[in-house]
Amino acid sequence: MKSIQKGLAGGFAVAILAAASGAALAQAGNEWPHYGADQSNTRYSTLNQINTGNVKDLKVVWAHSMGTLESQESTPIIIGDTMYVTSSTGPKYVFALDAKTGARKWSYQPELPSDYMSTVCCGLDNRGVAVANGKVFYGRLDAKLDALDAKTGKRLWSVTVADYKKGYAITSAPLVVKDLVITGMAGGEYGVRGFVAAYKQSTGEQVWKTYTIPGEGEPGNETWKGDSWKTGGASTWGVGSYDAKRNLVYWSTSNAGPWGAHTRGSDSSDVSQYPNLGSASQLAFDADTGKINWQYQYTPHDAWDFDGINEGVLTDLTIGGSKIPALLHADRNGFFYVLNRDTGKVVAADPFVTVNWATHVDLVTGRPVEAPNNEKRPQLGKWARNVCPNLIGGKNWSPMSYSMQTGLVYLPAFNMCMDIANREEEYTPGKFYLASEFNLGMPGATGDNLAEFIAWDPVAKKKVWSIPEANMWASGAMTTAGGLVFYGNIDGMLKALDAKTGKVLWQFRVGTGITQSAVTYAIDGKQYLAIVAGRVKGPPSFFGKLGQKMMEASPEGGILMVFAL
Amino acid sequence: MFSKSRINVLVPAALAAVLACSPTFVRSDDAAVRPVNPYSGDKVVAKEGGSLFNQFCSHCHGPWAEQGERPRDLRRLRIRYDADAIAMFYKTVNEGRLDKGMPIWKGVLPDATLWKIYTFLETVQEEE
Repeated sequence: MKSIQKGLAGGFAVAILAAASGAALAQAGNEWPHYGADQSNTRYSTLNQINTGNVKDLKVVWAHSMGTLESQESTPIIIGDTMYVTSSTGPKYVFALDAKTGARKWSYQPELPSDYMSTVCCGLDNRGVAVANGKVFYGRLDAKLDALDAKTGKRLWSVTVADYKKGYAITSAPLVVKDLVITGMAGGEYGVRGFVAAYKQSTGEQVWKTYTIPGEGEPGNETWKGDSWKTGGASTWGVGSYDAKRNLVYWSTSNAGPWGAHTRGSDSSDVSQYPNLGSASQLAFDADTGKINWQYQYTPHDAWDFDGINEGVLTDLTIGGSKIPALLHADRNGFFYVLNRDTGKVVAADPFVTVNWATHVDLVTGRPVEAPNNEKRPQLGKWARNVCPNLIGGKNWSPMSYSMQTGLVYLPAFNMCMDIANREEEYTPGKFYLASEFNLGMPGATGDNLAEFIAWDPVAKKKVWSIPEANMWASGAMTTAGGLVFYGNIDGMLKALDAKTGKVLWQFRVGTGITQSAVTYAIDGKQYLAIVAGRVKGPPSFFGKLGQKMMEASPEGGILMVFAL
Repeated sequence: MFSKSRINVLVPAALAAVLACSPTFVRSDDAAVRPVNPYSGDKVVAKEGGSLFNQFCSHCHGPWAEQGERPRDLRRLRIRYDADAIAMFYKTVNEGRLDKGMPIWKGVLPDATLWKIYTFLETVQEEE
C-alpha cells in the first residue's frame, strides 16, 4: 500500500482505497490500519528499512505516558501521520498523536460509571480502536461502543451494546468492514450469553446481532442441558478477522459458562449429547447479515476455561500440494489449528505446548480425544490433577504473527498446568459465576520456565525454534519484511529477533511489563517501531505465588515508546 | 437489612434500626459494632473456608489468598487494619467497593459462608 503522508484526508483516502480494493489479504506497509495490522490479523508489515542488519541501532525518538497504571493492552492504529491509541481503565483516554513527534493532536476521556470495575473479571484493559471513514471506534468496559471524529476527537455517537451491570464489557478493538463497525463482548465469567453485533459506522444504528449460543428452537440449543444456554458464556472478547473475497467475518468464542460443566451437560468426557455448541468455537459470519456460515468447536463441553477467543489469522497455505484457504488459531487448549476458512473443516491440530487433557484431535470427527476415564476432566466435587495446559492456556489473547517472509507463525506460549474441580454455585446476575475451584500455583509443565516464545511451522506442523521465558508472560508478536520478529516480556524487555533463527539482535528495557505486540509504520520514508507497555494486573491475582512473581517482575505502568534508526 | 436467613446477627437489632434510619454517621469499624466470628480458630471450618475462598474470591485475591497486588492482599488485613480487620472484612464483603472492583456479596453469600472464609483468612495473616 502506498501511503500519502500529508494530512488526515489523504490518510483516510488510502485506508478507504485499501478496503475497497477487495484484496482479500491486503498487507500493512506505511500505515498500521487495523488491530492485527491487516484484517487477516497477520501482524506482518512489508516495511524493511529496519532489518536484521541495522536493528541494533534503534534509538528512542519519543515517548508518551498512557495516563493509567495497569494492563496496557492497546495496539496503536496509524493512519497517515496520526497514531490513535487508548489507555487502560475504561479506556480512560483515547489519544490522537502525531506519529512522527508524539505531539498530542487531541485526547478524549469517556465518562464511565464508577461501579463498572466490579463487573470486569480480569483486568481493566482496552485493546485499542478501529479507524475508518474519518471515524474512530472503540468499545468500553461499561459495554458501550463509541464513535469519535478522527480529526477533532469530538464524540459523534455512543450506543449501549449490553448491560454492564449483568457482567457484560467490551475489551477488544472492534472490526471495521465496509460501512459497519462490528464488536464482540466479554462476560464469560458472569453467566452472560455471547454475541457479535454490527452497527452502522455513520449513525451507530444496529444492523445485526447474532448470538453465539443457539436460542430456543434453533439447531444446537439441545446441546445445552436445560436452561443452561441462557447463561452459557461463549463471549466474544477477542478480535475478528475479515475475508473480503468470501465476505466472511471470523470470530471465536470464549469458554462455556460457568466453568463447572456439570451445570451444562453430562459432566464427563462423553460429550456427544451436550457439547454446548457455540462455546469455545470458531464461527464464520456473513458480514452483511450476521448469519452464521459455519462453526467449528475447539473444546466441546469445556470444563477447563479453555476459552477459544484467540485470534484467527487468515492466510493461504500449500499443504500436500494443494492450496488451502487457511485460518490459523493457537488455542488455549494447547492445539495449533489449521482450519479451512471456506468450510470450517479442520485440516491440522497439533499440540504446541505440553497437552495432557486430550491425547489428540481426531481429524475425521474434528473432536479432541480426551484422556481416558475422565482423568483430566474436572467434575462436580472431583479434582482433576496436573492438567496441562492450565486455564491461562497454551496461548492467551496476546496476538501471534504470521510472517509472509518466513511462512512461520510466532506465538507467545505458556508452559503451565493446574488442578481444577467443579463446585455447586447459584447464578446471580452481575456476579462471578464460575462453579469451579482451581489451583494454578504449580511448576512448569516441562522445565522451570513458565512461558516461551515459539516459531511454529504451520505446514510442517512443528516447532522451529523457541525461547524460554522464566516468568509468565511473553507478549504478542510482530513480524516485518526486514527479516525480524519483535516481542517483549513481563520484565519489560522488548526484543528484536532474527525471524529465521530466533537470535536476539536488539533489546531495550521499557521499564514495565509488555503483553501486547509492537507495531511499525513509516512517515516521510522513515520507519518507526512503537510499543505500548504496562504490566498486567488482573491475571496475576489468581495465580497465587506465581502471580506474586509476575507482580514483582516489573512495576505497573503505562508508557508508549517509539523507536527509529 | 438483617434478614432472618442470616444466622449470625452481629449487631443488636436496635442499633441496626439506628443504622438504617439515622443520618448520624456510624463507623462500622467502631468497636461498639464490631462483629464476632463464630468459628474463630476452628481448624475444620478454616479448611472448608479455604475452599470457599478459592471458589468465590481467588479470581481477584489469589488461591489460598496468595497473590502479589498489595491492596488486594488479604493476608495483610491484620497488618493493615489491626483490630478493625474483622469489621472492615464484614463491611467490605457485604457492601462492596464498586469503584475499586469489589462486588457486593450481600444476598449472594450468607453470613455463614463469610465467616468460614474469614476463619480461613485468620490462618494466613502475615506478620510483616
